[in-house]
Amino acid sequence: MEELDGEPTVTLIPGVNSSKKQMCFDWGPGEMLVCETSFNKKEKSETVPGCPFIYIIRKDVDVYSQILRKLFNESHGIFVGLQRIEEELTGKSRKAQLVRVSKNYRSVIRACMEEMHQVATGPLLLHLLDWVRLHVCEVDNLLADVLGSENPRKHESFWKLVTILVLQGRLDEARQMLSKEADSSPTSAGMCRILGDLMRTMPVLSPGTTQTLTELELKWQHWHEECERHLQDGTFASSPHLESLCKIMLGDEAALLEQKELLNNWYHFLVTRLLYSHPTVKPIDLHFYAQSSLDLFLGGESSPEPLDNILMAAFEFDIHQVIKECSIALSNWWFVAHLTDLLDHCKLLQSHNLYFGSNMREFLLLEYASGLFAHHSLWQLGVDYFDYCPELGRVSLELHIERIPLSTEQKALKVLRICEQRQMTEQVRSICKILAMKAVRNNRLGSALSWSIRAKDAAFATLVSDRFLRDYCERGCFSDLDLIDNLGPAMMLSDRLTFLGKYREFHRLYGEKRFVDAASLLLSLMTSQIAPRSFWMTLLTDALPLLEQKQVIFSAEQTYELMRCLEDLTSGRPVHGEPDAQRLQDDDIETTKVEMLRLALARNLARAIIKEGSLEGS
Amino acid sequence: MFVERLPDEGPGDQHTEVSVINTVDTSHEDMIHDAQMDYYGTRLATCSSDRSVKIFDVRNGGQILIADLRGHEGPVWQVAWAHPMYGNILASCSYDRKVIIWKEENGTWEKTHEHTGHDSSVNSVCWAPHDYGLILACGSSDGAISLLTYTGEGQWEVKKINNAHTIGCNAVSWAPAVVPGSLIDQPSGQKPNYIKKFASGGCDNLVKLWKEEEDGQWKEEQKLEAHSDWVRDVAWAPSIGLPTSTIASCSQDGRVFIWTCDDASGNTWSPKLLHKFNDVVWHVSWSITANILAVSGGDNKVTLWKESVDGQWVCISDVNKGQGSVSTSVTEGQQNEQ
Repeated sequence: MEELDGEPTVTLIPGVNSSKKQMCFDWGPGEMLVCETSFNKKEKSETVPGCPFIYIIRKDVDVYSQILRKLFNESHGIFVGLQRIEEELTGKSRKAQLVRVSKNYRSVIRACMEEMHQVATGPLLLHLLDWVRLHVCEVDNLLADVLGSENPRKHESFWKLVTILVLQGRLDEARQMLSKEADSSPTSAGMCRILGDLMRTMPVLSPGTTQTLTELELKWQHWHEECERHLQDGTFASSPHLESLCKIMLGDEAALLEQKELLNNWYHFLVTRLLYSHPTVKPIDLHFYAQSSLDLFLGGESSPEPLDNILMAAFEFDIHQVIKECSIALSNWWFVAHLTDLLDHCKLLQSHNLYFGSNMREFLLLEYASGLFAHHSLWQLGVDYFDYCPELGRVSLELHIERIPLSTEQKALKVLRICEQRQMTEQVRSICKILAMKAVRNNRLGSALSWSIRAKDAAFATLVSDRFLRDYCERGCFSDLDLIDNLGPAMMLSDRLTFLGKYREFHRLYGEKRFVDAASLLLSLMTSQIAPRSFWMTLLTDALPLLEQKQVIFSAEQTYELMRCLEDLTSGRPVHGEPDAQRLQDDDIETTKVEMLRLALARNLARAIIKEGSLEGS
Repeated sequence: MFVERLPDEGPGDQHTEVSVINTVDTSHEDMIHDAQMDYYGTRLATCSSDRSVKIFDVRNGGQILIADLRGHEGPVWQVAWAHPMYGNILASCSYDRKVIIWKEENGTWEKTHEHTGHDSSVNSVCWAPHDYGLILACGSSDGAISLLTYTGEGQWEVKKINNAHTIGCNAVSWAPAVVPGSLIDQPSGQKPNYIKKFASGGCDNLVKLWKEEEDGQWKEEQKLEAHSDWVRDVAWAPSIGLPTSTIASCSQDGRVFIWTCDDASGNTWSPKLLHKFNDVVWHVSWSITANILAVSGGDNKVTLWKESVDGQWVCISDVNKGQGSVSTSVTEGQQNEQ
């Protein structure tokens, strides 16, 4: 077995801690169950009562976080948009698109973090949250606070604020603050102005200038020396605050480290340090400074935390390591899945490691999407993620979507639509079957029928049609007429269903007094064998009113056919699978019916022959 | 399997945090032997030495007792939910040699069938893939495996495989349904010809694979030998669309094996040792997407395993019994006082 980086995470489940018991478990669709048990099956268990609790455990509980929900929703939109970026786009325009995607993700993350700042949160992003709180939200709040007060320079946090602004490189604002101090305090006015000037004149690399790096370097050196000179000359000697600020601007490590609390973490320390000592640092050298910043900041008092490892890997541009560290540190696949996907689109994964390339992307997306399926509505986002996983996305979706509880008809329809759009016929069939059977059990035959039609399940359609027919025999009328009347081509799904549809049509024709058409249809149902034998008696009985009309409806030929059917039915000839025919002979009521039919048929035959034989024709 | 292509130390194959999201007080008066979630994760069935089977509604973190089913005369070892298309149906098996099938009708749970064809404790029940119909396999200490098939109108047909395992059968697990041939234009009303298979594990230290022949009889298709003591559990992994089949088996000998068969080649099953534990391994179970195997050990733990790039199985999480309050990702040895 290969070496592992560390021990697997251990989760402790509370319970009676007896050395004789074990843990029983099983998987649910999105969770696990564990409970205490004793596998050594004996008839008599120990007298000590067991622990009666079942624990339901789950990964990715973040999926239920209200705040993250917005993040999931919005990032889903960005994700789908990214997948659809034109493949033909190359070079600059493609790059521009990708950068935009990255910015979109970042703004969504930021929005989420700002919202988290408003609310008490859980463990996720705790460290970054601290940073945001201090560096964005709190600072701005503090700034407003101080500026808004009656006498800003007397505010207790005045110097703290100025220091933070300098640490963050927000020199313009820092200068503004200093000018307030200068205005109100003649003794320090001069010093403030000088420091303010230094702040104003610090050379910075601004985009769009034609300045080269070397030129900047040179200018910066001069500026740096000027600051140094002031320090040496003791310009700020009478103000410890100002002197400290000057040292910070010189990138003095000791001075920076004094502000540990305001810096809050080593990467801020890194940035400030670089800003004021190596402003033209090259990306390649970044990780040197990162490592030393980390070491200096921690000062041997504490060890790096997982988030630190992520950043260190990032500074080394080791994408693989970043992804790995993220997977370990973060409790949820969201970040690493979207990041890897973006990197893959930028073709960065492949260039870094030929081994896995986009397979890594798929693996992470599958993990993330699976997590979404644990949520009663976020699962819909998961569908899209699976769609963009070419290898295992489809089968994963198939397995997950079948487990969505079909608590409402609306939800069922939604699930079905998704399956139908993707030609997941097995799942459609299975889901429709579940709904159809539920409908049958609740005696909602119309609903059952529509589900079986949607599932294209002939066997089930037959079953439901039989129920309809049985109901008709018992009650003398149909339920769900609308549905049966509008079957259309679906009628062809099964013979029994066709019969049901046609039989209903017969009733409709009769209702519209289109007796001749009704009569023909009725007869054809028997002669074409569409009607099940067991139903013939009912059909023949339905023919009675047509036989007893004043006008002759059934022709002689048709009457002969009907007679043949009746004799067929009552002859006692063994018809396989139809025991009813046999029973007919023994039943008194049936005998009477048969007699009536014979009489009616005979009379009709007579009238028909006469009618057809006479001059007017048939 | 896709996971094989991950790099050596890929993400996700090392650390997984889990949290307790719900605790269900079953109020069982004796040891619990099995707990099973239904298909959708909305209901929980439990069974116990107190001879009862209980069903709870656990939606939205709640726990409502729906049914307290009595009928067994001995400890109940396992429960199994049938596929929802057949309604709400639960099977249970017990030391009392009976298998009972319970069904929910009009909102109440009742016994719908009792199978008494075994001479000894029935240890395991498992429903076949729903595509085959409503079929239940039962493994018993009398060494036999019985298969109950619902034929309609409350009738169940029984087929029995006697002496499936000498001394006793401890576990049964069905292979996922694989639709043979193409699905194009199946004639309506006709059922596709599935090849039904299941695996069983027994006190003869063997894992056996069974196949239904065309005449409807069950025949032993394969013997998988690798364990040196009683096989306690077998679990056939769900299908993820790849041509390989995978079975996990665990035994009194402390070993867990992963058996794979490359279906293209036919019937060659090769075992790979997942891990050798220090004690009896009682239970193995696959997650629904088959990418994680949970293994219960005699040492009070449940470990979760995933396959990595070079085909090695890596433990990604450890669920352990312990005292005190619930905590996540606590390193071994630390325990919080409640």
